[in-house]
Amino acid sequence: MTPHVEFRNVTVQYGNHIALDDISLNILPKTIFGIIGPANSGKTTFLKCINRTIDFIDAAKVEGDVLVQGESVARKRNVYELRRRIGMVFPLPVGLPLSIYENVAYAPRRAGMNDPVELDALVERCLTQSVLWDEVKDRLHSLGTKLSGGQQQRLTLARALSHRPEILCLDEFSIAIDPVTTMKIEDVLLELKDQMTIILVTNLVQQAHRLTDQTAFINASKLIEYGDTEEMFSDPKNELTKRYVTGDFG
Amino acid sequence: MNNATMPSRDIYITSSTGEDCYPTWDEALDALAKLPSEDVKSVRLIPGETGSISRGSNYYFDTHLMGLSGNGTEQDPWPDLAAAAADLAQDGAAAKNVTIEIKRRVIFTATRREDWKRIQQYIVQFIFFLMVMALVIPVVAILGYLFYKAMPALSYSFVFENPRDRMTAGGIWAPLAGTFFLVLISLLIAAPIGVFAGIYLNEYAKNNWLNRLIGLAVVNLAGVPSIVHALFGLGAFVLFANFGESLIAASATLAIMTLPVIITSTREALAAVPMSFREACWNMGATKWQTIRTIVLPNSISGILTGVILQVARAAGETAPILFTGAAFYLKVADKGAGYWFPYGLNDKVMALSMHLYTLMTQVNNAPEEIVYGTAVVLIGLVLAVNSLSIGLRVYLRSRKKW
Repeated sequence: MTPHVEFRNVTVQYGNHIALDDISLNILPKTIFGIIGPANSGKTTFLKCINRTIDFIDAAKVEGDVLVQGESVARKRNVYELRRRIGMVFPLPVGLPLSIYENVAYAPRRAGMNDPVELDALVERCLTQSVLWDEVKDRLHSLGTKLSGGQQQRLTLARALSHRPEILCLDEFSIAIDPVTTMKIEDVLLELKDQMTIILVTNLVQQAHRLTDQTAFINASKLIEYGDTEEMFSDPKNELTKRYVTGDFG
Repeated sequence: MNNATMPSRDIYITSSTGEDCYPTWDEALDALAKLPSEDVKSVRLIPGETGSISRGSNYYFDTHLMGLSGNGTEQDPWPDLAAAAADLAQDGAAAKNVTIEIKRRVIFTATRREDWKRIQQYIVQFIFFLMVMALVIPVVAILGYLFYKAMPALSYSFVFENPRDRMTAGGIWAPLAGTFFLVLISLLIAAPIGVFAGIYLNEYAKNNWLNRLIGLAVVNLAGVPSIVHALFGLGAFVLFANFGESLIAASATLAIMTLPVIITSTREALAAVPMSFREACWNMGATKWQTIRTIVLPNSISGILTGVILQVARAAGETAPILFTGAAFYLKVADKGAGYWFPYGLNDKVMALSMHLYTLMTQVNNAPEEIVYGTAVVLIGLVLAVNSLSIGLRVYLRSRKKW
C-alpha cells in the first residue's frame, strides 16, 4: 500500500535550534497514526511540515522531502489546494470572530460554496461530527468567540472537517475537552477513519493506545521508534519507548 | 506563673499566646475571668488523663450576641468570661488536671507594612491625578481664554463670509474652505497609500533587512520636522513636478507629512489582531488576502480609521508645510455661486486657516483682536471636532468587536 504521507529525511531548523532531526516515516491511508513524545520534541513542527504552514515561520529551514500521495509538498505551486486537503486542529482553541455558523462555513465559502442549503447541511454535519451540534444548534448565529474553551476546541475541529479533508491532523485536540465528550469524539474519529487518514498528536499515551493503528515516538527532535501500536505498547524495541509508554520516564 | 506545687490539681489555661498553669481550679477561674472577653471566641475544657469534670467539655462564648445570659452551649453562649468563670466554679470544684483551652477570635489586623502599602497606593494615585490635572487645566484655560476673546466676533456670518477690507473685517470663509480642500486632497492621497503600505508591511513583508530598513525609514520620516517637509514639497512638487505653488502641491506635501503616522498606526492596529486568527484561516486553505479581508481588516478597521482621522486633525493645523508650497496671504474669492463653494482650482494658490492666523498676527497692522481670536477658535474647533469624530467612531467600532 502506498503511503498517504511520507517523510523522507526531514530536518527542520529554527535558527540554531533543531526541531526535527532526520525524520523518515510512512503514514498509511485510512489509518489513525499517533505521535507521542514529551513537550518541545517537535510534534507540532511535524504537522506544520505537512500542510506547509511552516512557511509562515520566517526562521524555519526545512530540508528533506514531505510527500503527500507521492507528491512533494515543497514543490506544490498552489499551496492552498494542499491545505484544503488537510484539516488541522491545534491545541489552542481559536474561535474566529464570526458567528458559529460562519466559523464552520468559512473554508467552504472561501472555496466558492455559496448555496445556503448545501452550507446548512455541511455546517450541521461538521458540528455533529465534532459533538458540538446539540449544544449550539439553537444559537448558530451567536459569536464563536463567546463559546467556552472546550466548545471552541470542538468548533476548531468542526472547521477542520468543513473542507472535507483527506488528511486530518489533530494536535492535542482533547486538551480542553471533558472526558465524556472526548470519548464521543474518539468514537467519531474511529468512524471517520473510513474516509480519511488521521494523524493524532497526543500527550495521553493511553489515548494513542486506544485509537491508533500505528504510533511514532518522537523525543528531543528525533524519531525514536515507530510501528504498529499494539507492538509498540506490548513489545517496544527501544528502551526509551518502553519507559515512555509505561509512564516511567524522566 | 508556672508554679507547679500541686501537680495533681494542675489546671492549664491554653490559648494561642501560650499556656499558663494554676495550682487550683479557683485560681484558674479567677485568671479566666480577668481575660479580655472581646478577644475570646470559645472555651473548652479538656480533662487530662486522670482528670474529671462533671459537665461536658465544650463551652461557647460570644460577646457579639446581644442580651444573653446563656449557659455556654453553642446555641446559648456565655455573655462574657466572668459569667463563664462563675458557672464553671459551681460544678468544677473537684476538677483536677484539666486544661481550659481558649480559642481567640481571629481579627483582621493590618501589619505596618500593609498600612504603608495602603498609604503608598493613595500617594501614587494622587500624583498621577495631579499629572492629569496638569494636562487638563491648560486645555481648559486655553479654550476658555480663546473663547472669551473671540466672543464678539463669533457668529454665523463670521464663518461663512469672506474676509474684507484687507482682512480687517468680514469672516473667514475663504481660508476655512482652503483648509477643507487641503485636508481632503491630502487625505485622498495619503490614506490609501498609507493603509495599503501598512497592510503590506504588517501582513506580507518578511522579517529581512530590506523590510527592517523600510520600517526604519517610515519611523524616521515621522520624525522629520514639518518645515523640512515644506522644503521637500517646494523642491519636489512645486519646482520638479512643475505644479507651481498650488493647492495640489500643498496637499501633496501635507500627504507626505501624514503618511508615516498613518502607516505606523495601521501596522499597530493590524498587529493587535491575534496571530492565531490568521493561522486558523491559513490552516483551512485561505489565502493571506482572504484572511485579511474577512478576519483581519474587520477587526482592525477602528484602529486604522482612528489613525487616519487624527492625521486629518494634524494636517488641518500645520502651517509650515504649506508655507512655500501653495498658501496665500490673501486672495479675493467669489462671494456667491459655485466660486463661493469651490473657491480654488487644483493649480490655484489657497488660503488656509493656520496661515490666515499667522498673516493676521504678523502682516496686518490693524486687524481687530476678535477676528484673530475668532480664527483661532474656528481652527481649534475644527481640530477638536475631528478628534471627537475619531473617538466616537472608535467607540462605535469597538462595541462591535468580536472577541
